[in-house]
Amino acid sequence: MSLVSVQGLSVVYEPNGAEPVPAVKAVSFDLEQGDFVGLVGESGSGKSTLGFALTGLSRPPARVSAGSIIFDGVDIAGLTPSQLRVQRHGGFAMVLQSGMNALNPVRSIRNHFFDIFAAHGHVSTRDREARAAELVGKVQLPASVLDRFSGELSGGMRQRVSIALALSLEPRLMVFDEPTTALDVLVQHAVMDTIRELQKSERFTAVLISHDLGMVLEVTERVMVMHDGLIVEDATAAEILAAPQHPYTRMLLSHYGDPRAAVVEVPGLASRGTERATDVAQAVAGGAPVGEPVESQGEPVESQGEPVETPVGEPAPSAPTAVTVRKREGRAARESIVVSGVSKVYPRPSRRDQPVTAVNDVSFTLEPGASMALVGASGSGKSTIAKLITGVEHPTSGTITFGDLRIDTIRRRQLKRLHTEVQMVFQDPYAALNPLHTVEYALTRPVLNYSSLRGRDARRRVLELLETVGLTPVEQFAARLPHQLSGGQRQRVVIARALASDPQVIIADEPVSMLDVSLRAGVLALLDSLRETWGVSMLYITHDLLSARLVTDQIMVLNKGSVVEEGRTATVLQNPQDEYTIRLLDAIPAPRSGAKGGSRHPQESSKKGLRPPATVPTSSPPATVPTSSPPATVPTSLTSPRSPS
Amino acid sequence: MTPTGTTRPTRPTTSAVKTISQGNHDAGANPLRVILRAFLTIWSVPKARIGVALLGVFVLLAVFAPLLAPYGATDNSFDRSEDMSAAHWLGTTAAGQDVLSQIIYGARVSVFVGFVAGLLSTIIAVLIGLSWGYLRGLAGDVINFIVNLFLVIPALPLMIVIAAYLQNGGIGMIVLVVVITGWAWGARVLRSQTQSLRSRDFVTAAVFSGESPARIVFREILPNMTSLIVGSFFGASTAAILAEAGLEFLGLGDSTTVSWGTMLFWAQNSNALLTGQWVLLFAPGLCISLLATSMSLINFGVDGLSNPRLREGATR
Repeated sequence: MSLVSVQGLSVVYEPNGAEPVPAVKAVSFDLEQGDFVGLVGESGSGKSTLGFALTGLSRPPARVSAGSIIFDGVDIAGLTPSQLRVQRHGGFAMVLQSGMNALNPVRSIRNHFFDIFAAHGHVSTRDREARAAELVGKVQLPASVLDRFSGELSGGMRQRVSIALALSLEPRLMVFDEPTTALDVLVQHAVMDTIRELQKSERFTAVLISHDLGMVLEVTERVMVMHDGLIVEDATAAEILAAPQHPYTRMLLSHYGDPRAAVVEVPGLASRGTERATDVAQAVAGGAPVGEPVESQGEPVESQGEPVETPVGEPAPSAPTAVTVRKREGRAARESIVVSGVSKVYPRPSRRDQPVTAVNDVSFTLEPGASMALVGASGSGKSTIAKLITGVEHPTSGTITFGDLRIDTIRRRQLKRLHTEVQMVFQDPYAALNPLHTVEYALTRPVLNYSSLRGRDARRRVLELLETVGLTPVEQFAARLPHQLSGGQRQRVVIARALASDPQVIIADEPVSMLDVSLRAGVLALLDSLRETWGVSMLYITHDLLSARLVTDQIMVLNKGSVVEEGRTATVLQNPQDEYTIRLLDAIPAPRSGAKGGSRHPQESSKKGLRPPATVPTSSPPATVPTSSPPATVPTSLTSPRSPS
Repeated sequence: MTPTGTTRPTRPTTSAVKTISQGNHDAGANPLRVILRAFLTIWSVPKARIGVALLGVFVLLAVFAPLLAPYGATDNSFDRSEDMSAAHWLGTTAAGQDVLSQIIYGARVSVFVGFVAGLLSTIIAVLIGLSWGYLRGLAGDVINFIVNLFLVIPALPLMIVIAAYLQNGGIGMIVLVVVITGWAWGARVLRSQTQSLRSRDFVTAAVFSGESPARIVFREILPNMTSLIVGSFFGASTAAILAEAGLEFLGLGDSTTVSWGTMLFWAQNSNALLTGQWVLLFAPGLCISLLATSMSLINFGVDGLSNPRLREGATR
């Protein structure tokens, strides 16, 4: 008999005074003892709701409306909270996405364990200390963490502690809800390894809920793909990799690529390799992943009654038809941003701490029309550089100039002048738009502030901007409020707003990290096409090397505030020199590599890759600059006193 | 439309600010509709419904006092210290005035002071709290010092001192005293919310849109904390009503005006309890507490305005 048997389970959300929304629709599946199952889907697919229902944690407004969850012979859908609590010992446990925030900051880690032991009484008072030490040992933490408080632990350590807490009741079913999403890329990987090893040694049944199909395929044996409240595919990881059945699964898969490959391509975004790294690309032309036909991609993405998102890859994002090469009448000549020897030291947060050096002696030049990636894990100083360039903060030492404007010492009054030319695209499209203002208001303000257009002219310009970013019909979108837009559409509005002042430089701070995989390509393609048609230069800040590979020509890898590697994106990513870059590359889930749970050593995994770059002389310098697209012809040299490697 | 907050598990949902903005998500462009929707939200909470009804009664009493009161408020042509009777439902005072008429007329002062003083201190709190929250550096420090000063000084002694200096200034004086001593707390609350909102991306985005600081504060930040402001208004009104009654009871107001506070003052002076006329103390006291309670009850509904999770029945 299987451990868990779910039959026709439906969950609805019944918010006060609103229509009930079905989140999970008549789902059925079985889990055997010791299974490691991935549950994959994009936001709104109902995967977390299902996870909560599995562990009996559904709370109003969510309600299990139909079906049964038989756990070891007992239907937990009908249990009362107190019965459930008893059931949790030796039953089921859940590790939450924000499990790191689930710890009480004023109680030591030891107390967290002791609370659980006391509540269930399964560990005698004498053995508590030893048992707690054993549990943290299982998640590879020293016993000394028991004395600490959650504020003294890093995000990864806290997540490990919450996994250990979940383990303390010897559950037979563990549900991990996005256990690594809130963590730094490098830490993510380590925590995932811990989970995988634990599952092997403890033999509990594990359900891993994630939006990241790549990671799930790498870690789990069986994958259930959820879409719109239904499980659309339920197969082993190998089967899904080899022959995905459902179009939605195929669409999700098509958005993964290996940034180390010679040619990197996702649907809706032209290959960077073929266009720019010409020398490399021509060698391996046929190796591109089999993308879905453009028409079928958009279809499964639209779900949940959300406003219609422009399907990725439709003509709309490629703006050249709407706006041809921009004329910049009466505006400053195109200038480059020159950053030289910039450091930023934050004063020590408290008396005991050392001052924090966020950026350490960084120099680079962002030429007009260039696109440069700034990559690094969190805390590497990449966002600080964005703040310094946009004049939000002043560097401790070094100079930043934009034409004749000194950004490093800029005054509040001059900021407006700077922002005419340097604009920013924010990370979180859900936070970057005021929920109370319409799209038209959000776009009209910068137009009024930065141009002499008024009244009808200003409105025409706003509609023009909307058309540029592919939000048509423009009149309809102009009247919408942010909550009536999907994430991808919001990010397009944010981009349109950044364009309103007709800037020369756009700083994009993780513009797609909050978006679903299927929407990312569309936004990236938009940014890329804007760069070419408007001639704006772009500083693309990210931790995601794949997207960096797709939209940038140059790359700078930051570690702890210092540049550890720089050069042409394709060259650096295919032939990384610095160990930090290699670690970043390793942290990327690569479902296509087929190496499941195998070695993650760069050489080996690249050999296993579908598109072996080994056949390509990657180290050869870029021989010719392509002449096809004008902005790309700008010599995009990195002038830095520091030499890579 | 799918509630974005519930079906978007991949995003870290941490700040309380987020829920506030969600509460205001549905706010349309039409201000009338916004007010109507806000009222309906408040009305949907049973406690707040009682509060609204109570407040409505008092406001009607105040507005239609001349029509409702059986006699004039200062008419002292009756027998003194009479007990309750058909002619005088609540009896008469030691000066020979009808108590019921005084109660009805007295509502005017309390409601007026409550609204005016509450409104004024809220306006000051909004102006200072928002700019204080948005500004950094020296200006912020100066405001910080001033607000803390007002917060540390015990309000009642300060009120008494100020009122004693402005001898018998009437209602205007009382409003002034209440406003001076009452705005600081609201300013502090609004400031902390402003500080948390100012670090939101849409505020930074407004800076990039070239907006002036004043516009950012009042067009971007202010609308996102409507519910807090409404809540702080009702809080300030309650405090103002209580302070007004307190000051008049202590004899620091103009004792010739007819208000619940002065009624208490005169009742105390004439030893109403000793003479067995407990109604003289009881009736105005009950009215003061009922009016204050109605405001507090409405604030339960205002909680729901700002945060859908606090709406009663939403989680249980």
